[in-house]
Amino acid sequence: MLKIWSMKKNEETAAKKKPKVSAAQIRLQKDLTELEEFKTMTTDFPDPADLLHFNLIITPDEGFYKGGKFLFSFNISTNYPHEPPKVKCMQKIYHPNVDTEGNVCLNILREDWKPVLNLNAILVGLQFLFLEPNAEDPLNKEAAEELRRDREAFAKNASLSMRGGTIRGQTYERVLATP
Amino acid sequence: MKVAVKQWHAVAYWKWDTGATTEQDANADEDAEDDVCGICRVSFEGCCPTCKMPGDDCPLIWGQCTHVFHMHCLLKWLNTASSKQQCPMDRRTWVTAERKVDR
Ligand SMILES: [Zn+2]
Ligand SMILES: [Zn+2]
Ligand SMILES: [Zn+2]
Repeated sequence: MLKIWSMKKNEETAAKKKPKVSAAQIRLQKDLTELEEFKTMTTDFPDPADLLHFNLIITPDEGFYKGGKFLFSFNISTNYPHEPPKVKCMQKIYHPNVDTEGNVCLNILREDWKPVLNLNAILVGLQFLFLEPNAEDPLNKEAAEELRRDREAFAKNASLSMRGGTIRGQTYERVLATP
Repeated sequence: MKVAVKQWHAVAYWKWDTGATTEQDANADEDAEDDVCGICRVSFEGCCPTCKMPGDDCPLIWGQCTHVFHMHCLLKWLNTASSKQQCPMDRRTWVTAERKVDR
């Protein structure tokens, strides 16, 4: 007990010598060790030393987007987990909840983010967007409108878009998993 | 035979009283969530990422909703605009409890 103050001093000098690992990195490291194995999702770290920037590849095995391969970039600020990761779709895709710029509308990446959430929660959320696109919360209003009115027509257009087709004047990127 | 104690070492172990009963402690493996701060994911007995030593300088804070966090972690969250002053766990308005709230 008496030695706690001197211990604190030693700790402080020790901490100064160590290279600074940010709180965000420490927390992210924990998120990554707790990350579940998903058969339809893989992560890719272009620079393994940089945990704050990585890519996610989703290959849905059912639903409207089966057969596609979708790329997302994750940019995590040093304020994580107080701020949600910035997630963008790197391709131009036909999806009610993704606009043609790649912005993603997922509640937990925006207004419903809370710091007790982790990467697992975001990955599950993104996967769900491809299984069950949500017409109620659209970024691509035309796609959402079509999904609401006529699921079959939407399914056809989703499949057309993945092959690099043009829908109502917009040409989408070819995102098929098989070349 | 006569034994004379010439030297002794005391070893103490401390834990915050987070309201986990001994029964819950027994189930700790199943529900480790109870022992870590949900924000930084470091154990309550460790300190938040901005502190260097655990203990009284890095205390815990309880909400009336019964959720517990490192005080520093919670204050940092409440200081962000997007927190809307809500608990990071249940998104209810955060009200600090005077002390541990019985669950
Ligand atoms: Zn904490
Ligand atoms: Zn602290
Ligand atoms: Zn709460």
